[in-house]
Amino acid sequence: MYDIKALYEAESVQDAIRLLQEHPEAQILAGGSDVLVQIREGRRAGVELVSIYMLDELRGVSIDEEENIRIGSLTSFSHITKDPIIQKYINVLGEAVDMVGGPQIRAIGTIGGNTCNGVTSADSASTLMAWDAIIELTGPEGVRRVPIKDFYIKAKVVDIRPAEIQTAILIPKESYDRCFGHYIKYSMRNALDIATTGCSVNVRLSDDKKTFERVRIGYGVAAPIPCRAYTAEAFLNGKEINDENIKKFAETVLEDINPRDSWRAGKALRQHISVVMAERALRESIRLAGGVVNE
Amino acid sequence: MISCTINGKKRSFDIDPTKRLREMLLMNGNFAVRDSDDAEGFCGSDTVLLDGTPVFSNLVLAGEAEGCEIITPDSLGDSMHLTVVQQALIDAGVVQSAYNAPAAALLMTWLFSQNPDPSREEVKDVLSGIFIRDAGYEHYYLAAELIKEKLATGEYKTEIAPEFRPELKAVGKVMPKIDAPQLVSGERAFVEDYVDDDTCYMVVLRSPYAHAYVNKVDTSKAEALPGVIKVITAYNCSDATYMSAGQGNPEPSPHDRKLLNKKVRHVGDRVAAIVAETLEEAIKARDLIEVEYEPLEAVFTVEEAMAEGAPLVHNGKVQYNAGAPDDLDEYNSKLSGDEREGKVVYQFPLHGDILHNVAAANHGGIGDVDKAFEEADAVVEATYQTSQIQHTPLETHICFSKLENGRLIIYASTQVPYHVRRIVSWVTGLSENKIHVIKTRVGGGYGSKQDILVEDLTAYATFVTGRPVLYHNTREEEFIANSTRHPMRVHVKMGGKKDGSITGIYMKVDANTGPYGNHALTVPMNSCSKTLPLFKCDNMKYDLTIYYTNTPPAGAYQGYGTPKGTYGLMMAMCELADKLGIDYKDMVLKNHVEEGYMLEILKGLGEGREGNVVPVGSCGLREAVEKGCEMIEWGKREESGDPDWKIGKGFAMIMQGSGLPGLDHANAVAKLEMDGSIIVLSGAADIGTGLDTIIAKVTSDILCIPVDKITVISGDTDSGAFDTGSYASSGTFFSGNAAVVAATNLKNKILDEAAYQLGEELDDMEITWPGEVHSKKTGKVLSFYEIIHTSTSGTGRGHLIAPGSFTTAASSVPYGAHFAQVAVNVKTGEVKVQKFYAVQDAGTPINPEAALCQMYGASLKSIGHTLYEDMILDKDGRCVNANMTDYGVPMISEQPDDFKAVLIDVNDPDGPFGAKSISEIACNGAAPAIGNAIHDACGVWMRSWPMTPEKILRELGKIK
Repeated sequence: MYDIKALYEAESVQDAIRLLQEHPEAQILAGGSDVLVQIREGRRAGVELVSIYMLDELRGVSIDEEENIRIGSLTSFSHITKDPIIQKYINVLGEAVDMVGGPQIRAIGTIGGNTCNGVTSADSASTLMAWDAIIELTGPEGVRRVPIKDFYIKAKVVDIRPAEIQTAILIPKESYDRCFGHYIKYSMRNALDIATTGCSVNVRLSDDKKTFERVRIGYGVAAPIPCRAYTAEAFLNGKEINDENIKKFAETVLEDINPRDSWRAGKALRQHISVVMAERALRESIRLAGGVVNE
Repeated sequence: MISCTINGKKRSFDIDPTKRLREMLLMNGNFAVRDSDDAEGFCGSDTVLLDGTPVFSNLVLAGEAEGCEIITPDSLGDSMHLTVVQQALIDAGVVQSAYNAPAAALLMTWLFSQNPDPSREEVKDVLSGIFIRDAGYEHYYLAAELIKEKLATGEYKTEIAPEFRPELKAVGKVMPKIDAPQLVSGERAFVEDYVDDDTCYMVVLRSPYAHAYVNKVDTSKAEALPGVIKVITAYNCSDATYMSAGQGNPEPSPHDRKLLNKKVRHVGDRVAAIVAETLEEAIKARDLIEVEYEPLEAVFTVEEAMAEGAPLVHNGKVQYNAGAPDDLDEYNSKLSGDEREGKVVYQFPLHGDILHNVAAANHGGIGDVDKAFEEADAVVEATYQTSQIQHTPLETHICFSKLENGRLIIYASTQVPYHVRRIVSWVTGLSENKIHVIKTRVGGGYGSKQDILVEDLTAYATFVTGRPVLYHNTREEEFIANSTRHPMRVHVKMGGKKDGSITGIYMKVDANTGPYGNHALTVPMNSCSKTLPLFKCDNMKYDLTIYYTNTPPAGAYQGYGTPKGTYGLMMAMCELADKLGIDYKDMVLKNHVEEGYMLEILKGLGEGREGNVVPVGSCGLREAVEKGCEMIEWGKREESGDPDWKIGKGFAMIMQGSGLPGLDHANAVAKLEMDGSIIVLSGAADIGTGLDTIIAKVTSDILCIPVDKITVISGDTDSGAFDTGSYASSGTFFSGNAAVVAATNLKNKILDEAAYQLGEELDDMEITWPGEVHSKKTGKVLSFYEIIHTSTSGTGRGHLIAPGSFTTAASSVPYGAHFAQVAVNVKTGEVKVQKFYAVQDAGTPINPEAALCQMYGASLKSIGHTLYEDMILDKDGRCVNANMTDYGVPMISEQPDDFKAVLIDVNDPDGPFGAKSISEIACNGAAPAIGNAIHDACGVWMRSWPMTPEKILRELGKIK
């Protein structure tokens, strides 16, 4: 039994915006795999819902005229994993969302919902952070674009203004071009579990594959919102690919992350694991990029 | 109006679009779309195809199904017309308690519609969203192979399971479980499928406090709500003191609770029951009840419970129905005697001492352990802590009761129909003939349905309101208000000599029974009685103390106390072997019992009475150990190729019982029907394990008649005869043997009647296939049809009916050994169970494919207990992870890569056709096998459950 006051079915993006203006308290319903679970838990009791699930215009992955990868916000996890554009340019995102739940959730869970819920453990979050995704929001004033690092405000709060809906996630060419990445989900078990910590790394190597041109690392559950380890990135950019630098990079992530103790895992474990994952994900990214680590 | 297509038919519904899709499907009669997790999106019971894609129908709003095409599991094939996929699931043996079998069949059907030749990875992926607790997942892979073969060639090629006893036609043969077609096709089977239209709903108001007096319950606002029929509280209900354990009467558990108590003893304890016309009204009324609590200090661990001056969980008075101590009055004078406390009534002494929070205790042993430790070359001593674990049956506890013909009718999902009847009789004051308990199919028991946790209150609600009442636990209630595995502190001291012989074993077990004493003595007792008899050791001693605390309740759980005792003993033996510098396997082989060894240790280990000292009977223990060691290549070091991943091996000997000799009792009645077919009325309670099939198979081989000519009616207190129930691994051995006795008695009657009808001597008669009597002397043949037709004619001697009763002093013990190979990542603490081999002597496996599935299911479950599962309480005693996602059950992705169940062929002299128990024992081995393997891999001893990465890293010194 759900405690839902009303359900409004949007027929277009503009219609959704209108409905949200008419019902300022309403919550957007996409696939429902998060929102409906929250309502069941009583966290959004008595809510009004505007469903955008029928808006097929928000589904699919494409390359737009600016050469951004454009992922419609309603694109499901299973679609993303199988999409040829994702597989070609940012396969790590497909791998990350494939770790969500079982087939029933992956068919219905959307990338938009996974970011709009503002949850630090969301499987797509650390990868989108690490690839400097741009969130496209459409509202009464038109379209605006927000870098994902600014989109996350605090735990479970994101930058969506009244009557706005998230319409797409963009990965700019500058972000994906010649980049290779790897995501590690560290959880207590595989079965439908929430990440204890998630770590996504990507690299762009110099043409001779000896130097890190650019390294980015994003974390989930290392802080109240998904975060980057900028100090560690800054340290490694431009450095030679070798063991010492990799290890130093991994240790440096501790300067940026701020995990907490919870019944799921202690801070000490999360810190330790964050360092181990940084190194492992970096090494795998180097391998995918065709680099070799000098001993 | 919402219009959509359901299973190819256009349908329109006048339904609020904010209802769940599942609710709409229920309106349409698709009741096999079930809910195991209150729409959490975990268990997968609510899976349907929406426009060709599997979704959780609880996570889709009805309004979103507008214009969609929906396929539900019950559309596949009915029980008379099964599809290839459904039949393969049955044939592979995975359709056991089967609450999720229709959903699994739908997912497998969907998979094969996408790809007729799916890989193992694809099978794994499609089943990653469905929780299977009973059979594990291994035989789903087998089913996938069978489907592929059948679709490609029209027949199966892969062997499903080994077969046993070639001289028999049914016993030991791979054969569909008789209730499987009904279950896999999603036909009416479970309690929820039998609820009448005019049924009221009951919900329970539960305590937010771990320990408090309930001084006042103001129900006036709730009762004023329209639709509310009755609010039951401690101040207006039955005063009977009883307990929830479904055990033989008189029970070895203290009677220490009432229907509703004036003192709540755990978060989630019952405070009031609200009966209303609808669930919504009942919930609304619940929110309006005002309770005046007087909070008390609480205790949550055995350490807190045993501390000087600890708050007392029971502080009323103590009574004994037999064997009261002389100083009872003086003892009671030290207790508060507060009326709100109620009382603790022992049926006979269990060495309880509630003034010190002790619910029960037991002490005993043989020989002289102190001397044995002095004589040892090495002694180890360590404490092993186990955690609080929930059974998580897919079907949460449910009961439907109603009045009919002046009787109370109870539809129950229970392991113990007759104990349900007795306890409802106590609570209502009705005599047992006025109560009819109907056990439906049971969607997972694992011990939790050996406790009478919801039937008492539901039946009482019908009794006082006169209305049909449905009660169904939420998943959260299943965690906090049910029974769980007793957390135990198992302290082991073990001494050994350089030649590997064990000189002495001491076990000190401190168990946490929670707020009530159901199974308080017997579960912890099993930690000794089903472990120490594995050892040929002359000096053994045990001290068992069971404490009351304010945690969620503990109770029966598959394995009973044995997994905990086995964990402590086998880990300690491995530690001892390590200290002595000898191989663990050599030590096992040196010390294990064999057939004929007299088990003196059992004397003190009865269920609260003197135990039976018997010799070891049929025993495949050594063969299991040797077979498993060979399979896992014991002694060979494995390398992973990655310096972070260390590989190790471990194993553990295991045993259980086959029911309780001298305590359990089973009955059956076999009838020859008018066309020569057979109906067996059995008291047994098949909870999905295949017990009805066992009864049919033994009857088939005794009466020489095919299984499809036999119907088993069981679990119904009206039509069957008394049976203590399905627990203590008694089903096959007791209920099976009762069927053997009944069928044999019927056979003798048939032979006698045939001799009479033929005018020949009884000695010349023999039963032959298919259902005939043949005269060895004259060659004449009478079919069963002819015999019964004549005997029930107006001049005949009457219907041929034979009862069979079974009790025994014999103790047929199943043995085995479980082996694990694990990889431990020394940087991340992750543990992967690479190989798990369950090697067991179950006597004659009557249903071999079901037996294997039960071994897989219990092994996977216990891997979960070892590595993941743990109910975590906050400082106020609230369980913080009382939902499926957070709790941590293993699913298909946790299955060992190489998972094998192997049956050792042993023929037991006392079992039905040589059978012993199979399933419960399979919960016992994983923890020590994995614990020992972790040590072998990376050198740390994991002395508490669950063995998490965090604990491993701490033991390795990687984190503080």
